[in-house]
Amino acid sequence: MPNIELKDILIAARQEAYRMRHFYIGAEHLFIALLQIRGSLASHIVQHYGLTPEYVINAIRRKLGKGGKHRLWADVPKTPRAEVILSIANDLALDNGREQINERDILIALFEEYENIPMRVLIALGLNNPRELIELAQNTATHSSSQQPYIRIDFGQHFEPTDKLSRDEAFILRRMFYGYSQIRVERRLTSGYSSATLLVVTPIHVDKREDAAVIVKINQVDSILDEAQRYEAHVKTKLPPMTARIEDKPIAPEQSDLAGIKYTLIAGYDRVPKDLRAIMATWTPKDIGEWLKNELFPPFSHSWWKQNRPFRFQVWREYDWLLPPVLTLEFSQKEFPSNGHVIRMPIKRAKLRRLDYGDVVAVENFIVQRVYPDRNTIQLAVGNNTDSTNAYKIEVRGVNLEENTYYRGEVVENLVGTVWQTRAQQLLLALRALEPDFDAQAEKIPINNKEKIPNPILAYEGLLDSYVNGTLCTIHGDLHPGNIMIGPNQSAFLIDFAHTRDGHTIFDWVTLENSILNDYVMSATDGSWDAARMVVNHIIKLNGGEFIDTTLSPAIARLETVRYIREIARQCLAEDDKWSEYYTALVFCGLRTLTWETASIGGRRLMYLVAGLAIRELRTRFRPSSSSETPSPDDTDMSLSL
Amino acid sequence: MKITITIMSGVEDGNTLEYDSSRGDGQQDQGKWRLSIGRKDENDICLKSDTYISRWHANIIYEAGHWLLEDCKSTNGSFLENPDDFFNDIPIQDTVILNTHQLFRIGKTWLRIETIE
Repeated sequence: MPNIELKDILIAARQEAYRMRHFYIGAEHLFIALLQIRGSLASHIVQHYGLTPEYVINAIRRKLGKGGKHRLWADVPKTPRAEVILSIANDLALDNGREQINERDILIALFEEYENIPMRVLIALGLNNPRELIELAQNTATHSSSQQPYIRIDFGQHFEPTDKLSRDEAFILRRMFYGYSQIRVERRLTSGYSSATLLVVTPIHVDKREDAAVIVKINQVDSILDEAQRYEAHVKTKLPPMTARIEDKPIAPEQSDLAGIKYTLIAGYDRVPKDLRAIMATWTPKDIGEWLKNELFPPFSHSWWKQNRPFRFQVWREYDWLLPPVLTLEFSQKEFPSNGHVIRMPIKRAKLRRLDYGDVVAVENFIVQRVYPDRNTIQLAVGNNTDSTNAYKIEVRGVNLEENTYYRGEVVENLVGTVWQTRAQQLLLALRALEPDFDAQAEKIPINNKEKIPNPILAYEGLLDSYVNGTLCTIHGDLHPGNIMIGPNQSAFLIDFAHTRDGHTIFDWVTLENSILNDYVMSATDGSWDAARMVVNHIIKLNGGEFIDTTLSPAIARLETVRYIREIARQCLAEDDKWSEYYTALVFCGLRTLTWETASIGGRRLMYLVAGLAIRELRTRFRPSSSSETPSPDDTDMSLSL
Repeated sequence: MKITITIMSGVEDGNTLEYDSSRGDGQQDQGKWRLSIGRKDENDICLKSDTYISRWHANIIYEAGHWLLEDCKSTNGSFLENPDDFFNDIPIQDTVILNTHQLFRIGKTWLRIETIE
C-alpha cells in the first residue's frame, strides 16, 4: 500500500528545490520527490514504461535548468499549480474516506492536472496517455513486483564456463524473460568500445518449447535508455524488412545500475544467430569480403549508406570525440585568478595547447555529458545535446557530488578547475604503454629502411580545423564484426544501435576497416612492432591500388577483406575516387584505438601506424598543388594541416 | 480585445494574467496592440521572480490578425518549444508568429497564450 505521508513528500520536494536553487515547491519537485522514494508508486510506473526514476528526474531537471545565484524570497512557497495539485489530491483522499493525503493521491493529481512540467516531460519520453497513467496509478500495488521471478538460466555449449554472468546481469535476464520457465544463454558476443554485455539467449516455455533466439544487451542504465529513445526516434523506420529490432521496452530494475534491452531477429528460423566475428575464423578473407559486399551493404544501403546527402563539415565536429578529453581538470573552489584561462566556444586550440599541469582554467557554458558518482567525476563537452559524439570533452575530477548536484544535459555556466592532464599527455602515455622501439616524441617515425610517416599524436591536430566534403546518412556508428550478425541463407543483420545517428557516411566503413585490421589482420601476427610495420607496408600498396602477394603470410592474406571494405567505401565517397575523406576518418579512428585499453597491444600498435600513414597519404596524395591556382584535387581544404 | 496569458513554470507556475485593450492595457498604435514583458515594474507583463529575464525582455504584439513574439535583444533570449526535440528549445531571432497554446520561454520562464477574445 502506498503509505508515504504528505509531510515526507514535502520534505523531499523542498530538498530538491534547494538542490536546483529554485526555492519554491512546484509540481516538478513533488514528482521528483515521489520518484526519489525507493519502491514508490511513481518509480514503479516509470519502470513499467521501461524508464528509471533517475532518468526521468534528470530529464525534468534538464528541461528546467538550475535557478540563478541570487535568492529572491526568504521562504519556500508553493506555486499556484502545486496548490491546485494538492487540492485535487485532498479531494481524492476525502473521496476515499481518508483525512491524510498519500503518495497515490498526489500522483493521480499530477496526472490529472496534466499541464504541469513533469507531465510534459513524461509525454516527451513517450508516456503520452494520461488516462492509462491514471489507471496504473489507481491499480498498481507497490509490493508485488519487487519479488524476483524464478527462471532457470542454463548455458549453451558455446558459452565459456569461466565467463560467468554477474548477479545483476542474471537479475535483468530473469526480469526480461518473465513468463518463460527457463532460458539458455547460448553465447556471449564481443561488444565494441562500450562496456556492454551482449548475449544470445533462447527462451524456453514450461512445455520445453523453444522460441527463436534473441540478443540481449546489458549496459549502464543511461546508455540503454538513450538507445531505446534513439531507436524509437531514428532507427525504427529506417530498417530493412529482415533485421534485428527492438520490440519490447527496456528492463531497468530500480535495484541495479544496469539495464537490458532485447533485439528480436525478424527471420522466423530456429538456428542460433552468429556474429561475424565468430564466423571469421572459418571463412576465407575473400569469403568475408564477398559477404560484406553482397549481403550486408545492399539491403541497408537504400535507407542508410546510399542516402548521399552532401555534407561539408569541419573535421572536429565529426571526429574530435574519438580522441581523449582535451583536458582533465581537478575541481577547484578557489577564486578565479586574473591570469586564469577561460575556455568557451569557439574553442581556440592554440590556447588549449599552451595549458599545462596546474594552470587554472574556467570552463564556460559546457554541457554535462555524464556524471560518475562513484569517481566524483563529471564529463563536459560542447554542443547542445548529450550525444556521445560531442566534441571537446573535458573531464572534471574531485567534484563533491554530495554538495553540488550535476545532471546530464545541464548547461554549466561556469566551472573552475586546475589542469591535471592534457590530451597531448594522454596520447603520449598511450603510445608509451605500447613500448615503442622508436622515439615517441619524434616528428617522423620510420616504417622501413627508406620511408617515414608523420607521428600521428603530434600531427593530427591541424586536421581538426580542415573541411571535408563528404556525404551524410544514417550511420550505425559502431560497425564492427561483433555487431554484424549472420542469419539464415547468409543474410545480414545489424544489432546495437546505441550510436546510430546522422553522420559522415564513410565513418561506418572506416570503423569496420579499423576493427578488421586490429582484431583480424593483426591477430594473425605476433603483435610486435616489426609485425605492425610489415602490415603497414602492405597497406601502402593497398592504398596505391597495387598488387599484394597474399601468399606471403596469413596476416597479409587477411588484408584481402580490407580491400573489399575499400570497394564498398568507394561507392560511398562523395566524389569518385576522392579518398581524402576516408583517410581523414582513418586518422581519428586509428588514434582512438591507440587509447583503447581493451584492444590488443599488437592491434593498437598497428592502428597507431595506420593513423600516421593516413596523415602521410593526405599530405602526399592529396596535397594542393602549390605551383598553380587549382584547388586541391577534391576541393578538400587541407591548407591548415599541411 | 482581451488576452489571457498563463505562466507555465517557475514560482508563479499556474498563474493566469489578463489584459484588455479597452481597459488601456499595453500600447496601441495604428491597429497594433503591444504588451511588453520584462523584470521592470513598468512592463505590462512584469515577471520579477526570474533573474534570467532582462528588464525589457520581449514584446507580444497583435498585428494584422496574428500574435507575434518579439525578442528585445535580451541577455538570455526568448525561445519556442521545439516539436522535434523537447529538450532543445528554438531561439527566437527578432520576431515569430505565436499561436494560442504554443509554449514560449522568456529567460527561464515558460508562458503561453491561453485565450483571445
